[in-house]
Amino acid sequence: MSESGGPDVTSELRLPWDDDPEDLYEHAPCGYLTTLPDGTIVRVNQTFLDWTGYERSALIGHLRFRDLLTPGYQIYHETHYAPLLTMQSQVHEIALEVVRADGSPVSVLVNSTLERAAGGAPRVIRTTVFDATERRGYEKELLHARQIAEAAEKRVRVLQQIVADLAAAPTEAEVAEAVLRAPEPAFEATSSSIYLVDVERDQLIAVASTDPTTGNWDDMPRSSGRAVAEVARRGDLHVVHNLAEADEHFPDLARTMTASGRKTVVLLPLTTGPAEEQAGATVLGVLAFSFADERELSDGELRVIRLLGQQAGQALDRARLYDDLQRREERAAFLAGTTRALDEEHRLLQRGRRLVERVVPEIADWATVRLHIGSAGLREDAGGPGPDEELLAERITEVTRSVMPVFATDGDELGCTVLPITARGRVLGTLSLRMAAYRRGAEAEQAFLVDLADRAGLALENARLYEQERAIARSLQRSLLATDVPSGDPRFALETHYQAAGRDLEVGGDWFDAFLITPNRLAVVVGDVVGRGLEAASTMGQLRSAIRALANAAGGPARLLEGLDLFCQRVESARMATVVYGEVDLDACELVYACAGHLPPLLHQPAGSAEFLLQARSGPIGTRAGDRRRTEHRMRLAPGSRLLFYTDGLVERRDRPIDRGFEVLNREFSRLRGAPLKGLTEALSDTMVGRDHGDDVCLLCLTLGAEERLERTLGADPLQIALLRSDMRAWLIAHEVDQDCMDAVLLGCSEAVANAIEHAYRDDPFGVVDVAATITGDAVEIRVTDHGTWRGPGQSRGRGMQLIDEAMDDVMVDRGDGTTVTMRRHRGARS
Amino acid sequence: MTDQWVTFSRRGVAEAVHLKGEIDLANAHDIGRAIVARTTTADAVLIDLTAVSFLDSAGVRLLDLIVGELDERGKPIRLVVGERGAARMTLQLCAFRNDLFAIDLDRAAEELGR
Repeated sequence: MSESGGPDVTSELRLPWDDDPEDLYEHAPCGYLTTLPDGTIVRVNQTFLDWTGYERSALIGHLRFRDLLTPGYQIYHETHYAPLLTMQSQVHEIALEVVRADGSPVSVLVNSTLERAAGGAPRVIRTTVFDATERRGYEKELLHARQIAEAAEKRVRVLQQIVADLAAAPTEAEVAEAVLRAPEPAFEATSSSIYLVDVERDQLIAVASTDPTTGNWDDMPRSSGRAVAEVARRGDLHVVHNLAEADEHFPDLARTMTASGRKTVVLLPLTTGPAEEQAGATVLGVLAFSFADERELSDGELRVIRLLGQQAGQALDRARLYDDLQRREERAAFLAGTTRALDEEHRLLQRGRRLVERVVPEIADWATVRLHIGSAGLREDAGGPGPDEELLAERITEVTRSVMPVFATDGDELGCTVLPITARGRVLGTLSLRMAAYRRGAEAEQAFLVDLADRAGLALENARLYEQERAIARSLQRSLLATDVPSGDPRFALETHYQAAGRDLEVGGDWFDAFLITPNRLAVVVGDVVGRGLEAASTMGQLRSAIRALANAAGGPARLLEGLDLFCQRVESARMATVVYGEVDLDACELVYACAGHLPPLLHQPAGSAEFLLQARSGPIGTRAGDRRRTEHRMRLAPGSRLLFYTDGLVERRDRPIDRGFEVLNREFSRLRGAPLKGLTEALSDTMVGRDHGDDVCLLCLTLGAEERLERTLGADPLQIALLRSDMRAWLIAHEVDQDCMDAVLLGCSEAVANAIEHAYRDDPFGVVDVAATITGDAVEIRVTDHGTWRGPGQSRGRGMQLIDEAMDDVMVDRGDGTTVTMRRHRGARS
Repeated sequence: MTDQWVTFSRRGVAEAVHLKGEIDLANAHDIGRAIVARTTTADAVLIDLTAVSFLDSAGVRLLDLIVGELDERGKPIRLVVGERGAARMTLQLCAFRNDLFAIDLDRAAEELGR
């Protein structure tokens, strides 16, 4: 069209690319909009109108550009587009959505420029609009594809992690835990549970769940009709897509799905082999996972799920082998440990105790061992509470009769396993125990228990034999030692003591003996046979008899030892026995002794300190390497001398060198010089070795002749008074004091000592009382001294003082620093 | 505990207490308790001291107590001490009443039964 109105001749002359600007504006390949700064549309081209379906008149002057946008983009327009335009005066490629006249949205890209007036105030906005529908479609597709790729990648990462966890899980429980954690991150499952096959019990055990409130959470037999059992039997993946499907095939599953609000369930068998070789694959468990919404699983996902089942199955298989191995190792270690623990004890009762203590709590919560030994039998219990005693007794009788173990089974009322304990074809008794239910029934476990009972049988039988031998040895030893040593002769007194080893060890070969060779000649012996037990005890008996037979008035100790050397050529077990042998001429107070490899005797004469007799030493009996030239040593003993023979148990102690032992013995023996002879050897043994010692101790103490003057020191203990009387009686007899005088002196002396203990030392248990007695041709004089604080004779002891006064002729009480009571009684009956 | 020093038997109406060995401060208390446990309800008591080899004032005190208690209840008691011996000496030194002593156990039992 020309402004002149005539035909436009120039039009023919236009080149095809020489566009008419108006036409170009209206039909440009993009939409044009011109708006006022407030957005009111003032001009729009045809292209835009064609795209959007609006009438020009509907837009111009009536609507703003933002009014054409979908609601979301209206906000975007206000928050991004408009501010950006105002600041930069132009915007490019802003993606917006325009609402068409028919209401449908169309994606567009927009460029705008803001024209400003001379003062800089906004004047007009020009906008080009491009249709971006297809481009946005590509973008969306791209995004979707990326999301899928990301999900797959995530799934693969989760599965890789699970596979790594499975490889690291050493036990069945840990494998189960790792598998259980897979479905939620990998497939967006809502929850998952795992069931494992227990082959021994033919059961499927529910072991773990991420949400135990879902599902039927009971163990089930493998033959069960439940979905889990069905899948375990079939060995192939089963997906229950929806409730209707579940209803049709597995009503039990449908019920739990309804109850827990699940729409899709996947049941995945955990198999040892690849799915293609189903025949060879073993199902070790089932992983069940479910979705709160219906879930379609793609082929790719199903492949991955199957792979998970195989990986988990293989890990389970490996863990089971590992568990088995470990359990086998544990059992072997337990058995070895038990054998060792039983060996540490020798006695039957202690071994029985050890046995039940090993069993409880390590493999059982209660156990009892009952042995048919002795009249009453023997019984040791551990743990508890025990089962019904009557049922147990019945079962024990049954097992004892059949000599077959009865293992606990589910549903058995007794609930205990009873095993016969046998040795050498004989039933010694039974071991009953109650184990945790999961250990029941397993074949390996049963074999293990039988093994345990066998070992126990051997150990208990050995203990029984030991016990028997020990009893025989003890009684033999006791019968040999119990023979009375000579007594009642005023010329000498003997005190002996034998203390068996404290820790239940076998009897030793220590012995003592004393006998009169002639009425005037006393023989004393202490010896030690090599070895322990019955053989040592019987050898000791033979040696003892041999010494009695060899001793004669003419021979003497050296000849006697030579005789023993010959003797041990016939009785080999006597070889290397050690012996100290002495003969005492009672009238002449002369000792002749010889020591065959034995510890030296200890002598304490009334004057001076104690000394070891180191003469006349030679090797043990029958020695090959030692000196066999038997010599003897003769010495005179002052009346009142004390001679101690002893065995090595007295001085040898693990925590003390032997020379130190000799020192201590010398000191203790000297210290007890003043103590009454009666009880002396026992006291010495107590001080030197105590009660709990590892070796036998044998002592023999000889007091020779009557002391001129009896001096004793007593502890403030009423029991000491009887010991003092015993000494004093022997001393009075030795001095041929008549009966009346003796009774009176013993009474007076006892009362005086009792007074001192009761009154002077009422508050001092460590006080000592000195007693000195002298004798003359016509009288006995006693002096009793204490160093305590005299409380005055109370009511009760009044009679004591009165008795002293009555019994004795003269009594003098001197109270100074302590109290001294001096008493005198003439010899002979009272007129 | 005290069996080595004291045993009991029945002689007619009397409860017989047999003492043995040495009785002194160390064991008198325990022996006393054993005797009292058997004699508190007895109608007659015989204490046989013939086997006692030593008796001190603690033993005397014990016997005195038992005699006193039976006297109060009006029940007869005899101490059988033999012709000689440590127990007799001690009791005589303490001037125990002569009517308490008996020489022979069976004869004393007979007397009490009358």
